Amino acid sequence: MSAVGASMREEAPQPVSGARLLTLALEAEGVTDIFGYPGGAIMPVYDALTGSKLNHILVRHEQAAALAADAYGRVTGRPGVCLATSGPGATNLVTGIANAYMDSVPMVAITGQVASPLMGTDAFQEVDIFGITLPIVKHSYVIRSTAEIPQIVAEAFAIAQSGRPGPVLIDLPKDMGVMTAVPGPVRPLSFPAPQCASNEIDAANALLREAKRPILYLGGGVSIARGEQAVRDFAARSGMPVVATLKGLGAVPTTDANFLGMLGMHGTKAANIAIDSCDLLVCVGARFDDRATGKLDTFASRAKVIHLDTDAAEIGKLRRAEAALCGDMNVVLAELEADPANYADWLAECLESKREHAWDYNAPGAGIYAPKLLKDLSERAGPKAIFTCDVGQHQMWVAQHCQFSRPQAHLTSAGLGTMGYGVPAGIGALFAEPDATVITVSGDGSIMMNIHELATIRRYRLPLKIVLLDNSQLGMVRQWQELFFEENFSEIDLSDNPDFAEVARSFGIEAFTIDHRSEVDGAIDRLLNTKGPILCHCRIDPRENVWPLVPPNSANINMMEKRK
Amino acid sequence: MNARLKIEYANNEGALLRLLGVVERRGFMIKSVAMNEHAEGGTASLIVEVAPRGAERRLEVLTAFLRRMYEVQSINSFEPRQDQAA
Repeated sequence: MSAVGASMREEAPQPVSGARLLTLALEAEGVTDIFGYPGGAIMPVYDALTGSKLNHILVRHEQAAALAADAYGRVTGRPGVCLATSGPGATNLVTGIANAYMDSVPMVAITGQVASPLMGTDAFQEVDIFGITLPIVKHSYVIRSTAEIPQIVAEAFAIAQSGRPGPVLIDLPKDMGVMTAVPGPVRPLSFPAPQCASNEIDAANALLREAKRPILYLGGGVSIARGEQAVRDFAARSGMPVVATLKGLGAVPTTDANFLGMLGMHGTKAANIAIDSCDLLVCVGARFDDRATGKLDTFASRAKVIHLDTDAAEIGKLRRAEAALCGDMNVVLAELEADPANYADWLAECLESKREHAWDYNAPGAGIYAPKLLKDLSERAGPKAIFTCDVGQHQMWVAQHCQFSRPQAHLTSAGLGTMGYGVPAGIGALFAEPDATVITVSGDGSIMMNIHELATIRRYRLPLKIVLLDNSQLGMVRQWQELFFEENFSEIDLSDNPDFAEVARSFGIEAFTIDHRSEVDGAIDRLLNTKGPILCHCRIDPRENVWPLVPPNSANINMMEKRK
Repeated sequence: MNARLKIEYANNEGALLRLLGVVERRGFMIKSVAMNEHAEGGTASLIVEVAPRGAERRLEVLTAFLRRMYEVQSINSFEPRQDQAA
């Protein structure tokens, strides 16, 4: 054989298995970490994983894989990747995929599927995950040809990250992973960025000139667009008061002087009063969610609206906008002009209201007062700490009383409200930022939904700090039954909980229990100074409620407050 | 008031289900459907007649959510006469 002939043979691409094509395509996308759980139909991919550069994190339930990938996506801004087998493996991902969809998180979920000839025959562990997830994905694929795997992976990552991010599903039949194909070139995908119309910018600037009482209303879109600096610049040069949604917390530092707090159902009174009396709402990356607006027709009812979002479908969906700014906030905000002198009196009024309605941390008794514990923990953990939480009363206390210097420091299941998010999210955050101080705040109801993930924390020796607020009840449900269902308490008693410290220790995790206020300082010290994973089990008063509270179907201005 | 949407889209696997699912989930009833793949293949037209499930459901919101879908290439909406079923 001639030298030339040998060279040509060396250069010719060789066929490789579909599973190998998949791992190569993931590597080409810059993926380093994958959260998953193996099983029958996905075995070819797990076979290929051992020869790849990908770091696979073995969770103990597929839901945790999806939720960890969600948190990873929120922190890095790149798609989190989760992997599961067909049938129950795939359906166990569904809650995590829905969670990412509702909160616009970039994610690529890969599921094994039964072999192509068996699809549609009710085969063992066959489920139509493509069909099941249609309402909760940005896009989805079934691999029908091994050769198209690199192209589909490239498209999935491009779609997951473009515009308003979201989850993309790739369903891989087993035979597609086993068969071989020669890798071909990948056609790049591009998505034109929306261009904001100049007349809409003019309209917005006219509204800003006319306004006397404007408010900057920030949502989760700020984090998605990585628009914090543009927002902070605009907030500073406009001099207008700022409020944020649950997902918008940290868009401006929560310690910022002009920040009035979270608005809505469990927002601050100052934020809701200001919204009620404003004459211009500058909505940036928010979507007029019902938890934020309360009764919609009473929300900022005297205000005109400037709505800035990259997703045109959100503008005008629930509230008409006088200026519709569809575009990249990092570009558009720089074109808005506002004179802080016009708003100085209004800002002073809002700041006086903020002082008047500041949180009161003087609680009676000697028991642990969760809001004070969280405030102290947050202050001592410092601005770089990442808080993840579950869903319920503790979630609202975290939002109200912790400090966030950036949106990525607050990982919460806002749209879907997924109990069980906190611990997997802590895992995802620690893989995304291994040097960060990551604190998961959970409740005794929520933590049981994914408590098996303590095994994952132990396996990878993740220094997650878990604060478990235990009121032996489903606290938020109990609160609503107390206030809105005439104290007809139904199925909220969790007094037969296990000893959570013992449970954690059985997983090999350091743990301790406190139930007295005098123990809180020492507990925070221990939490923050322990190098490995640790769980602090805090027994709190089961009668404690989250205040203030906007009753359902009520205007935000009608907030219920704690009786003193 | 019924309205008719003409949607041009890439006829990928699941695209039709995806489109009709958005129509239903965003609060519109499907009154009639006609779909055909174009001769050159790959793309298709869908004509769907829809009716809102309540006065608060607006056609422009539905079309905005359809327009952002990956497969959708164009959407035209109009209100048909009574004798113009799809």
